Amino acid sequence: MTQTDKERGGADALATPFTPGMRDNPAELADFTDGIVGRPLPIADAGGPSPEQEFAAEWNNAAYNCFSSGHKFCREVCPVMQVTRNESWTPTAFHANVVAMGQGELSVEDVAADYVNCTQCGACELRCPNTLFTGDFYRFRTRTVDVVKAVRALAVDQGVHQEGWRTWNARTDELTHEPVLGETPVNQDHVRDWSAGLDLPIGGETVLFVDCEAAFYRTSVPRAVAQVLQLAGYEFGLMGEQWCCGGPAAEMGYVDQAQRFARHNLDNWRSTGTRRVLVLDPHDYISFTEDYPKYFGAEYDIEVVLVVELFAQLIREGRLNPSVPVERTITYHDPCRLNKRKGIWQEPREILRAIPGLTFNDVDRVTQWSYCSGGGGGLPIEKPELTERISASRLEKAAALEVDTLVSACPWSERPLTAAGESHDIDVVDIHELLAASLGIEVGGTTDGGAS
Amino acid sequence: MTLQVERLDEVVTALRTVLADDQILTSRADRLNRARVPAPFPVHRWTERLPDLAVLPTSTEQVAGVVRIANDLRVPVVPRDGGTGLTDGAVPLRGGIVVDVKRMNDVREIDLENRTVRVGTGINMLKLNEQLARHGLFYPDDPASYPCSLVGGRIGTSGWSLIGARYGHTRDLVLSFDHVLPTGEVMHVGDGIGHQISKSSSGYQLKHLFMGHQGTLGIATEATLKLYPKPEAELSPFWAFDNYDDAYRCVGALARAGVATFAGAVLFDEWKVAYLRRDDEAYIPQPGDVRALVCAVMYGYEDEVRPAGRRLFRIAKEHGARYLGDEISEGDWAARHDRYATPLHGRTKDGQVVPMSWHCEDAAVNYTRLPAVSKVWHEIVADLRRKTDVFDDWGMFAYTSADTGVDYLTEIDVGIWEQQLDDRAWELWVRAKRDIAAVALANNASISACHGSCREGEVDLVPQELGRGYDVMLDLKRTLDPNNIMNPGKYHLDRAYRAGGR
Repeated sequence: MTQTDKERGGADALATPFTPGMRDNPAELADFTDGIVGRPLPIADAGGPSPEQEFAAEWNNAAYNCFSSGHKFCREVCPVMQVTRNESWTPTAFHANVVAMGQGELSVEDVAADYVNCTQCGACELRCPNTLFTGDFYRFRTRTVDVVKAVRALAVDQGVHQEGWRTWNARTDELTHEPVLGETPVNQDHVRDWSAGLDLPIGGETVLFVDCEAAFYRTSVPRAVAQVLQLAGYEFGLMGEQWCCGGPAAEMGYVDQAQRFARHNLDNWRSTGTRRVLVLDPHDYISFTEDYPKYFGAEYDIEVVLVVELFAQLIREGRLNPSVPVERTITYHDPCRLNKRKGIWQEPREILRAIPGLTFNDVDRVTQWSYCSGGGGGLPIEKPELTERISASRLEKAAALEVDTLVSACPWSERPLTAAGESHDIDVVDIHELLAASLGIEVGGTTDGGAS
Repeated sequence: MTLQVERLDEVVTALRTVLADDQILTSRADRLNRARVPAPFPVHRWTERLPDLAVLPTSTEQVAGVVRIANDLRVPVVPRDGGTGLTDGAVPLRGGIVVDVKRMNDVREIDLENRTVRVGTGINMLKLNEQLARHGLFYPDDPASYPCSLVGGRIGTSGWSLIGARYGHTRDLVLSFDHVLPTGEVMHVGDGIGHQISKSSSGYQLKHLFMGHQGTLGIATEATLKLYPKPEAELSPFWAFDNYDDAYRCVGALARAGVATFAGAVLFDEWKVAYLRRDDEAYIPQPGDVRALVCAVMYGYEDEVRPAGRRLFRIAKEHGARYLGDEISEGDWAARHDRYATPLHGRTKDGQVVPMSWHCEDAAVNYTRLPAVSKVWHEIVADLRRKTDVFDDWGMFAYTSADTGVDYLTEIDVGIWEQQLDDRAWELWVRAKRDIAAVALANNASISACHGSCREGEVDLVPQELGRGYDVMLDLKRTLDPNNIMNPGKYHLDRAYRAGGR
């Protein structure tokens, strides 16, 4: 017997399971009158909607997807939550606050400082039971990073600033680069200093974009990238006048500034006939593949190539043949913006497995959803102590694998991880640097802004 | 919120004698985010449940200090662990102090010889198991909220585990714990005196009493847990049926077979399959004549699980089951158990897709009563849908609770369009919940196997369910919590303090 047998007299269409909306459904389904849906819900406010309520209306569905299910699977993978254990600083709180703003219960001033506590790593979105990638067609991803960015932008728009971020972005605006060397000036005159002696052309169809941290602080990374590309015979130049990608400003809520910087860079690529941009930094990769298309729409026709993916391909094609053994015991740190935001985790491992001499104690990418350096989303500017604890926690996991080296593919992670590695005697090395070493390249440059 | 500003200052000043400033949270957002659990509640009434403040203690002593102060000042205390429960245990009904234990999440001692671990109750099971994996061990308390609920919440709610038929439920897996009583005294609860004793017959058996009280009798702060070898093999076959009755007979036979590695079985009814087919993107489409599903899961060593699996396959075949194949079985088990993918939408009767979230009402029902309970529960939800599209019937699961197949966690899943949940819809929902509980009691079932029964609606029937036992609850509550400070307003326990006692 089935549950759908209509054995009872008088049973209506709702007495059996059915698929709403099908053509052959009983006509009587239209006869029920709804006493609730369609009427306005009580909303506590007087006068017109506040900026917060307008904002909440825009983000209502995104926030409600989380708020009304409320499973909180995200909590234990959140790098900030892991070290603070404060539920006010969790992805679910970031969504719930938006709903509360819509209800007139919170102003952006009440919560702006809470939203500092996010590295925008994206782990929460992957762990969310609402996120689902089915086959190659159905992709739904909970939007927590976007919500955090939007609330930060709302705060700036309403004149609510975090002092560290305000100063940082003001200086970036002035210098056209992030002040990654503190008081030591960074500017247009020095943005290509890292390439000294490499004899790189300016402009051309393909340019290499170097993020602020790599251009000024860890110059060993762009030097490694440039020399590996030269070895492979891959033609590229440097940007005519490179500004910061604008991504950090966008992450901290300074949207107008981010767009001005993006505009400059796109115009500059146009002026040198550039069609393709090589990116070595995962944060830039997010800016160029997610922010810029949003800013420019169809006008944006630049091909963006991630260097790690390119190197893996060049190895596969036999154009790069790492042969110098690198005698290190390593583990690999999946940069959040590659692994969690973009699903890029295979290519770095391909590269590492091609390097002779390495002992590779790998940790799978899913376990690494809960790992982070704490270096993203502006966190180290406002709360360096949290970045430090997140990095320390990451290094503890590396130390448990008894490695001497932690390899990363993200210059922004390498500064905090290096600091945390000192107490474990673990070196932090960039994957591009490691590959260059195995290709027999003396990289040069500095890994600490020239401090040593 | 219940405290006047001057009173709040007095409480905060007192709390500063046991806590650091950054452990005392008073901002509006801090409080709003500790007034919520996954169970539905009309959003426009959110602030009715605000605590006055929240604290983040890091030790048993600090928890005891906070509770002592609260008891002295007669301020309500609400323990909050994961805040993932479905019965509002962690929701403050009278304001007061939320004691959020998440910072007590350390692993304090792993005893490999006696196979136990001692932890702070703010630790999550998945995180604990990451650490235990290094020793080849695991802690098999496995609720749907496995990635986010915390050991302390599992104690306070006496949790149910999906693989409980093999490993037992929270009450079997927690050997003992430190517990802060409503007066601020600290007590150790276990079998006898032991921290690591699984069975004692000395004295009253207090452990059950201090589990599942929904925070009305105090706060567990440190627990000693039973550990098992991490299973080498998992087998999770899914079988299809063209009707509910065959699937029902099959799940009963599988559970009664007495296979030692059997960890649980799940029955998907016809409403459930119809719902998954129409609205769940994680569902792997099956032919139209698939109307009910059964899955079973076995854990153990490979040389145990293989022959056990052969036996269960034989039983399933005898009951007309069609095996869905390894790929679907593994994929579907992963989607439903490892990920708990949840659809974000249901439909109105005319087919409009609308954002809805998944809510469920459960009961502990004997095998023989499952069809009767299922039938009436669907009728209750159909009646909701006759009145409004705020509700959608997402079908039922029945999960084995024990290794003999005696009873099942039976749940009806209801999609709720929360953005439309106004006072009238809420009233309909509360009434439906009360009706659902009444059906359970009419079938000699318990109102809840898993979620608890202290929410509006079903809570009204708890005295009826427990009879004289409910009066004992009142007596105990009054004795242990003389000032009714511990999670007041739950389970109608205020009755314990009325003139003339109960």
